[in-house]
Amino acid sequence: MAPVGPRSGDAIFANMERVNAELFTLTYGATVRQLLTDLEEVDEVNKQLDQMGYNIGIRLVDEFLAKSNVSRCVDFKETAEVIAKVGFKMFLGVTASVTNWDADGTCCSIVLEDNPLVDFVELPDTCQGLYYCNILSGVIRGALEMVSNTSSFAQPSIPSFLWDVSLKTEVTWIRDVLRGDDAYELQVKLVKQVPEEYPYKDDE
Amino acid sequence: MQFFGSAEISPSPPVPTTSGNNAHMMYVFNRNGVCLLYREWNRPLRTLNAQQDHKLMFGLLFSLKSLTAKMDPTSAERGNLGVPQLPGQGCSFHSFRTNTYKLSFMESPSGLKLILITHPRTGDLRQSLKYIYNLYVEYVVKNPLYTPGAPIRCELFNTSLDQYVRSIA
Amino acid sequence: MIGVGKIKQYSNVLDKPLSKGKQEVSLSAFAFLFSELVQYNQTQVDNIAELERRLEDAGYAVGARVLELLCHRDKGNRRETRLLGILSFVHSTVWKVLFGKVADSLEKGTEHEDEYMISEKELLVNRFISIPKDMGTFNCGAFVAGIVRGVLDSAGFPAVVTAHFVPVEGQQRPRTTILIKFAEEVLLTFNPFIIANCILILDSPSAKGITHSLGFMS
Repeated sequence: MAPVGPRSGDAIFANMERVNAELFTLTYGATVRQLLTDLEEVDEVNKQLDQMGYNIGIRLVDEFLAKSNVSRCVDFKETAEVIAKVGFKMFLGVTASVTNWDADGTCCSIVLEDNPLVDFVELPDTCQGLYYCNILSGVIRGALEMVSNTSSFAQPSIPSFLWDVSLKTEVTWIRDVLRGDDAYELQVKLVKQVPEEYPYKDDE
Repeated sequence: MQFFGSAEISPSPPVPTTSGNNAHMMYVFNRNGVCLLYREWNRPLRTLNAQQDHKLMFGLLFSLKSLTAKMDPTSAERGNLGVPQLPGQGCSFHSFRTNTYKLSFMESPSGLKLILITHPRTGDLRQSLKYIYNLYVEYVVKNPLYTPGAPIRCELFNTSLDQYVRSIA
Repeated sequence: MIGVGKIKQYSNVLDKPLSKGKQEVSLSAFAFLFSELVQYNQTQVDNIAELERRLEDAGYAVGARVLELLCHRDKGNRRETRLLGILSFVHSTVWKVLFGKVADSLEKGTEHEDEYMISEKELLVNRFISIPKDMGTFNCGAFVAGIVRGVLDSAGFPAVVTAHFVPVEGQQRPRTTILIKFAEEVLLTFNPFIIANCILILDSPSAKGITHSLGFMS
């Protein structure tokens, strides 16, 4: 089946209204700083950044769908490609690549060489446990959860009154330049597909 | 006495003007079936309270969608009734018309459902719904004070929507 | 581009050359990030004034760094020392870098000597916003007010900076005015703080010193 939607986000990014990346980078820095002041514990900051990313992901997905004309992705593999090639380009102006697929196609890595979140950043000793870019993992998790997936995911055991499914994933950092690695690598692991249920009970 | 539109069994409202007053009302549901927005421009007859009305509309779409997919004569890989069917995948309806109104429907892959009720003689509104989806992205999704899943109370969205539906012919 | 190479590795952020500031991201990416900053801060406060203060704090951090960045990049490490000079620097240079355009206007207050106003018909952070009635006069421009205060304060011109909606005749949407009220000492002709600050900066022109202060925890 031919994939639907664009293969690269270049044209979409060119048509998007854009701002200087520094405004974005510095605002992100100010956000992280505020969280460190409020929450004190680095682990709590990691959690909050992930939550904020998730909140962004469930919003951003609608803009992605409205502007990219991606009407659906055939499977998880294609979904990951679309995120890397179209999603990252469209919003952040950078391209990511997808590698390290496992045998059953439910786990892969998204690798980012250029990352506009981290200009001017160096982790001080007191923040060594901080995943500075943790917001990105949340965004991916949130966006994927909102995208219904196709019948190639459908289990025969899904009861007949269910409508469609969404992707629940776990996203974890494998490599982080701020921690001395040579690139940013996020592992995206498909945990389960969540069927959408009819939200009302009959007697309601 | 003269009859217009003789092919129709019951009389329908007058032919719409090129623009202006053709939109009756609009519903927006999220993927959890929460009615995020109900907006009304022209609805003289109301028989249910708002909550029942929204629930009925959501139920109508839900059933219609699975029925239309079930009746699809073209899809070879079609599963049983109710097997997960996706927007854009296989068959999905985009409008139906009665003698008194037309319902146009769009669902995004994120599960957002836009429903526009208009005069029965209005044309294909798929592009209009797409345009409204873009308004939603600009003025609801990107509004820093909007919490996802909450009812839409965004003045910018409402005014641009009101303005836009006036152009629907 | 042929043969996309690996990014060059720098042992730390100080060795990496400062970017030229030409890179762009989508306005949406910023809008989503900013929305989340607002939403997060809403969970930390009880009232609108507190929310504005926290957004202003976040903006202040941005402003202070913007000044360092621009001084280093565009002005050969020299800072503006005159009041009107720094105001016009904010209104044109800072605005252009952050918002892609010069601000719509810079005016002196008519009632008070120490007040200046920068106005913008459609401030970037208010672009997509609808303020619910129960939030009254809340203005996200507090973030931008914070940026302005950060720039001014770091340049040795302490001021109180606030953001206000001002209705415009014939327009549905109000414009945003950033009101700058300078601290008393700024208006004195002789300002030892500014001079000291100026010398300090001229004495440390090395890129390393400047870059370091840009580290996100300085």
